[in-house]
Amino acid sequence: MNARIRPRLAFVAGCTLIAAVRAALGSGAPAANSDAATPPCEACHGAHGEGMAAAHVPRIAGQSADYLKKQLDDYAQGSRDNPIMANFAKALTEPQRSALAARFAAMSAPFIAQSAPPGAAQLARGHQLAFQGDEEERVQACNNCHGPDGVGLVHSAPYLAGQSAEYLASAIKAFQQGTRKNDAGQLMRSVVEHLNESDVEAVAGYYGNLGSAMH
Amino acid sequence: MTNLTRRSFVTGVGAASVAPTAALLTPAQARAEPASDTSVPKPTYIFFNADEALFIEAACERLIPADESGPGALGAWVPNYLDKQLGGAWGAGERLYRSGPWAAGTPSQGYQLPFTPAELFHASLRAIIRDLKSQRASFHEMSGDAQDAYLKSLESGAHDLDGVPSAEFFDMLLKMTVEGFFSDPVYGGNRDMVAWRMIGFPGAYADYYEAIDLHGVKFVREPMSLAEDGKGHVHMRQDIPANL
Amino acid sequence: MVQRLKEVDVVVIGVGMVGSIVAKELAAAGYKVVGLERGEPRFTVPEFQSPAIHDELRFDVRKALMQDNTREPVTFRNQGSQLALPVRRWESFLPGTGLGGSMVHWNGQTYRFQATDFQLATRTRERYGKTFLGPDVTIQDWGVTYDDLEPHYDRFEYLLGTSGKAGNIKGKIQPGGDPHESPRSREYPTPPMKEHFSGAMFRKAASSLGYHPFPQPSSNLSQPYTNPEGVKLNACVFCGFCERYACEHYAKSVPQTVILPVLLANPNFELRTGCQVQRINLDSTKKQATGVTYIDAVGREFMQPASLVITSMFAINNIRMLLLSGIGAPYDPAKGQGVVGRNYAYQTMSTVASFFDEGIIVNPFMASGASGTLINDFAGDNFDHSGLGFIGGAFIGAVNTNGRPIQYHPVPPGTPAWGKGWKQAVVKHYNHTVMFSLHGSSVAQRQNYCDLDPTYRDAWGQPVLRITFDFPPNDLKMAAHVTAKAVDIGKAMGAKQVVGSPRTGPYTVTQYQTTHNTGGTVMGENPKTSVVNRYLQSWDVPNVFVIGASNYPQNASWNPTGTLGALTYWAIDALKTKYLKHPGRLVSA
Repeated sequence: MNARIRPRLAFVAGCTLIAAVRAALGSGAPAANSDAATPPCEACHGAHGEGMAAAHVPRIAGQSADYLKKQLDDYAQGSRDNPIMANFAKALTEPQRSALAARFAAMSAPFIAQSAPPGAAQLARGHQLAFQGDEEERVQACNNCHGPDGVGLVHSAPYLAGQSAEYLASAIKAFQQGTRKNDAGQLMRSVVEHLNESDVEAVAGYYGNLGSAMH
Repeated sequence: MTNLTRRSFVTGVGAASVAPTAALLTPAQARAEPASDTSVPKPTYIFFNADEALFIEAACERLIPADESGPGALGAWVPNYLDKQLGGAWGAGERLYRSGPWAAGTPSQGYQLPFTPAELFHASLRAIIRDLKSQRASFHEMSGDAQDAYLKSLESGAHDLDGVPSAEFFDMLLKMTVEGFFSDPVYGGNRDMVAWRMIGFPGAYADYYEAIDLHGVKFVREPMSLAEDGKGHVHMRQDIPANL
Repeated sequence: MVQRLKEVDVVVIGVGMVGSIVAKELAAAGYKVVGLERGEPRFTVPEFQSPAIHDELRFDVRKALMQDNTREPVTFRNQGSQLALPVRRWESFLPGTGLGGSMVHWNGQTYRFQATDFQLATRTRERYGKTFLGPDVTIQDWGVTYDDLEPHYDRFEYLLGTSGKAGNIKGKIQPGGDPHESPRSREYPTPPMKEHFSGAMFRKAASSLGYHPFPQPSSNLSQPYTNPEGVKLNACVFCGFCERYACEHYAKSVPQTVILPVLLANPNFELRTGCQVQRINLDSTKKQATGVTYIDAVGREFMQPASLVITSMFAINNIRMLLLSGIGAPYDPAKGQGVVGRNYAYQTMSTVASFFDEGIIVNPFMASGASGTLINDFAGDNFDHSGLGFIGGAFIGAVNTNGRPIQYHPVPPGTPAWGKGWKQAVVKHYNHTVMFSLHGSSVAQRQNYCDLDPTYRDAWGQPVLRITFDFPPNDLKMAAHVTAKAVDIGKAMGAKQVVGSPRTGPYTVTQYQTTHNTGGTVMGENPKTSVVNRYLQSWDVPNVFVIGASNYPQNASWNPTGTLGALTYWAIDALKTKYLKHPGRLVSA
């Protein structure tokens, strides 16, 4: 996850926010009237979990609850590196993390159109990587693990379809560079190791454009 | 844990398209249905004629009946699987060494008849339907017990079906019925993946790197077809070759 | 009209794992190598990708990755007195085809044979006496020792990246590994695979009975790995579509994932696919090969001259190539003469099914091809056979490789074959059953052999291979013995019902029992009982080398592939350091 956050968001990070999170979540049950209140997640991840593409904040609405819970656990334990997310996650108990994961997994939100949608050639290349892979780069089809049309595979891999293209590209690069290491079995690192710059953009742009594939 | 439910809409390829079901058959519905219940949509057959289809539907449903655990061969569209396989390259003898000379051989030597699967089925069904007609019977109108008794007599080799030993026909019928029940729905059987759901087989998308560590924990996920898109539509394609 | 091509140094017949390794080594040493493969080129992307590859009907039932039996079948009979008939559909064994060969669709189970296996005849005589075996059993020593092969086993395992736990490093027994194994020089290249639930249950039960369970060595890797050739593999995700399928994840060790990128990049090597080799051509002395004749995909006939010919096809095809080429005297069992086709053997497989109640969730569909848990306590000569009346044994293991439902839906004995009772039993037992694999050795006997069929021909008009085989009584006794031991383990696992199914005769081609066909071009020290010498060089035609499981004088208790890899590197060493420097007989006859 790209650690660079815009200044106005950085303002909301910090101790007061952690206290607010604790108060809002109480014993761990999702806050009543959760859409009316503004728990800290929505400040960056959007009122309905739709994400904030420019800040590389991912869409989390409807994401796999397993996956969201694991990321929160990893942030809390330090196996996934992001100071802001780590602060939030450490302030939560494990049951609270489960509750939050379940809450966002149950959300639905409209897909945000990309500000710079990919061109036809880039979409075609992204589609090829998604469905087939590339032998030269020794990358298999992303959909093998991420599900048909990248809609996610329960208990296995998060959805990519409709995810922010900027976030996807930064996540792939983080796996390539080793700044993100919380993938079980180094599965993601192995897969994306040889993807070149243009293919990273292609596959990210392709999935970013694929919100329509999701339910 | 998210446990997405999907409706699978079956879309046929080519001229014979089929109306989608409104919902998955529930076990209660399945149990009540005899072979000709109109609430189960019917496939359009390209290989079986009307008489043959009546036999095949009734016979397959005896081999794998609907019960409390879920639909049987009919609800799973197994007859459709047989129809499309027999009407395609497999039925025409794909992957079958077809040169002579021919000899009966020993049981260790396996199948030695010159018939392709399509020829074997046509010959056998002709003989069966003719035999039963001569006794003023038709299989699909017999009671369940009588149907079972007749199938057992085929199984034991009691009949010569215009040259096909009936045990050979029965063996192929049973094998293809099991295939039609448990194969990927891309082939036209295992409709709505009812058979996979019944036993808990998750299907063609299969990444268990983390789940394998959860010893003894049930893996709960809707089964998935190799031919489904992101919304769960299964795009049938019955003509997949038996070659890479 | 045969077109004669420009001469090259080496022709390799069959570009599977053996052919790929041989070609890579010789091309890297500066020789011009042509590799002739009958099948198509294929690669992880796109040919092996899922979800299309996860199609049980296509790949398991219809055998989509296998040799085209409609053009190139074999014939079979149990006894020489019977008429051999074509195997009209593959079932018992599944020869592969295409670039990468059978190791594209293998399960990844990677073993070494034990030291005693290589001197089986001597060892058996010494331990049990000269008359222990009946006169029909024709087991032999190999002409090489385990120590000869150890560095080559190591090299092959490090090429593949095999995942496992050593049990014996230079004589020191290692906890967690197989204490029966012969000494290895170092650990496996990657750690053992994750253990399946069924393996964990097996391990506890086997230990409680005093046996020595260990993780099955797996060439579906436990973690990412870069091999000494610089080629990288990924970790296996236990998809349960291993044997008979190709791996989409770059995680199974197949030629495409371990060596082909290096081979195909070398300009000294030329791959020709769609080429069906008809024969190895000999000069007028019949003691020198001049090259090979092949027919391409367009039907044109070519003669490819070469100084050296390596036949590295699937075992039974190696035998056939020598017979079609007139290399070596064909074996005649009636006269007891000749060698080519002699000592054909197989694998003696039994199973044990342990049925549990619904509280035990097995999840059979989560599996790699080789993430079992095994014991070798009843394999090979690891136990005293005195008074038992047989030699050999089996590894016993909870080897869960898949839960693919068309072919896997275990039910207890007495379950009807169809109908309501069958369906109920399938639902009741699918996720609550553990199947053991009992992987038994196969002795050679004089009545089991291969030759050319007198009647049936392939699509090119050449006689097909005829296999005459039935289980030797020795092996059926062995199967009964090890099955009883395995049933005890099932009971110790706490199963409600344990059913042993020992192998019984006659051998049938209608049921799958491994693709471990061995023998027919046996290696040895005596040209009267072997086809190739200890360096896998033909006794009759010194510029022909035969590399395959066809070289095994008999088959041992483990999958043959690991040993085949070792023999490949052993032969390459002989080629590079001896033969190619001074072409000629490496061993005097």
